[in-house]
Amino acid sequence: MNFNISIGQYYPINSYLHDLDPRTKLLGSFSFIVLLFFINSILGYIVSAIFLAIVIKLSNVPLKFMLKGLRALMGIIIFTVLLNMLFVRGENVIFSIWKINISWEGIIMALRMAVRLIMLLMMSSILTLTTTPMQLTEGIEYCLKPFKKIGIPSHEIAMMMTIALRFIPTLMEEADKIMKAQKARGADFETGNLLSRIKNLVPILIPLFVSAFRRADELAMAMEARCYRGDINRTRLKELEFSKNDFICMICLLIFAIVIIYIRFILK
Amino acid sequence: MIKSRNLKFKYTSFNPEDNSKTEFQALNGINIDIHAGEFIAILGHNGSGKSTLAKHMNAIFVPSEGDLFVDSLNTKDENNIWDIRQKSGMVFQNPDNQIIATIVEEDIAFGPENLGIPKDEIKKRIDYALNSVEMSDYRKAVPSFLSGGQKQRIAIAGIIAMKPKYIILDEPTAMLDPIGRRDVINTIEKLNKEEGITIVLITHFMEEAIRADRVIVMDKGQVVLDDIPKKVFSQVEYLKNLGLDVPQVTELSYNLNKLGINISTDIISIDEMVEAICQLK
Repeated sequence: MNFNISIGQYYPINSYLHDLDPRTKLLGSFSFIVLLFFINSILGYIVSAIFLAIVIKLSNVPLKFMLKGLRALMGIIIFTVLLNMLFVRGENVIFSIWKINISWEGIIMALRMAVRLIMLLMMSSILTLTTTPMQLTEGIEYCLKPFKKIGIPSHEIAMMMTIALRFIPTLMEEADKIMKAQKARGADFETGNLLSRIKNLVPILIPLFVSAFRRADELAMAMEARCYRGDINRTRLKELEFSKNDFICMICLLIFAIVIIYIRFILK
Repeated sequence: MIKSRNLKFKYTSFNPEDNSKTEFQALNGINIDIHAGEFIAILGHNGSGKSTLAKHMNAIFVPSEGDLFVDSLNTKDENNIWDIRQKSGMVFQNPDNQIIATIVEEDIAFGPENLGIPKDEIKKRIDYALNSVEMSDYRKAVPSFLSGGQKQRIAIAGIIAMKPKYIILDEPTAMLDPIGRRDVINTIEKLNKEEGITIVLITHFMEEAIRADRVIVMDKGQVVLDDIPKKVFSQVEYLKNLGLDVPQVTELSYNLNKLGINISTDIISIDEMVEAICQLK
């Protein structure tokens, strides 16, 4: 099995986007995703596609690498497309089988959803490709700070996320190893129907979980040995700092938001 | 100085089947003194308590009986814990399970960040730490793309950045290939000789132990030998009874002696062996 998920992985190069403050990137991708749901015309899609293209260009990450990550999530996209196609009711029915009508409107809706979803996934993968998990979590920690007063442990949440992201490649490697070891002893993961395939995964998941717990235990010990005691008296290697580029970015984002809202509410 | 006085430690394991508790005496009256600047190797069979002892030096474990002092700070006193952990850094066996961040420099910064060291000083310490493990080119690298030996050196750098007086290494080479093992041991030796950091190396590789100033052999939770490597390894029969190996050349000289060839039995390195054999008539 090939696990190739570029979501969550950092792509270590230098670029304009890499140097931005994580808060700018968080705000940017979050508002982009929200704005995507405002769009209801072709023009809106074209504008946001151009915006996305510029962002991808600025990130310096090869498009090929990004698309490879997208491929892993193709299942979700196809599922959404099918769902929309089959269940959206419309006037212009193209053909119908039993109780299911496939209409022209359904197809349009499905395509829109697909484009929306692809853009959403690309934007969120750009966020993680250009931001190290440490920076990302520091950004999230900052954004969650106001909620600390109502008892949300922002530092702890951020630390958990860092560690989760850090261990994705390690655990994937481990899963691969376990799988090979099981295959060497005659386990079969490739044939059978969906149900039996899922059942066959159990002997991989159990050792994987056991080892994940063992790793967690050792990691906790190593962290304590390095004087980790939560957010008490902690400094940061990289203090979050807005630069000129961050302001430029914010202004671009604002212009983009105004254009999208203009297209949606005034142009129509 | 790290010193332990009559240190005892018990594990209690709980058996859910019949609700019984079994106690296991992991350490049974340890008295050792580790002086500043020394390079100590601790040897022992599996279950001899060597890892448990190492974890006491970092206050991960606290003695059930007796005391352990790191620079006169008692590990039993909770107020001392963070000072002790800064003074004596600990490196574990599996490098994958000690690296917290996804970028080398961020990982090395983790310790100093916890100590509340200002940002500019942390940057200096990263330079210093990477330099001392000879990994300066990997500052921005992703740890999961590095080899085992390199990862372990990054883990050591993460400890060095905290400026410890002592570094305790719990079988740091057990999971490495021969090249990684050699690099890690060379790094450890360099830290001891050039930076003057006290090293406590837990290992079961004899080739590593002979490079130490002093070897401590443990068995069943007790210290059974504590001497310079030559003296320790010359007791071939005793070590074998404990289930330990001796360096190949030491065993060779022991066997030659048995055959009546007059050769010194405290040979521990290949060079010494060559020298001794050439002297034979």
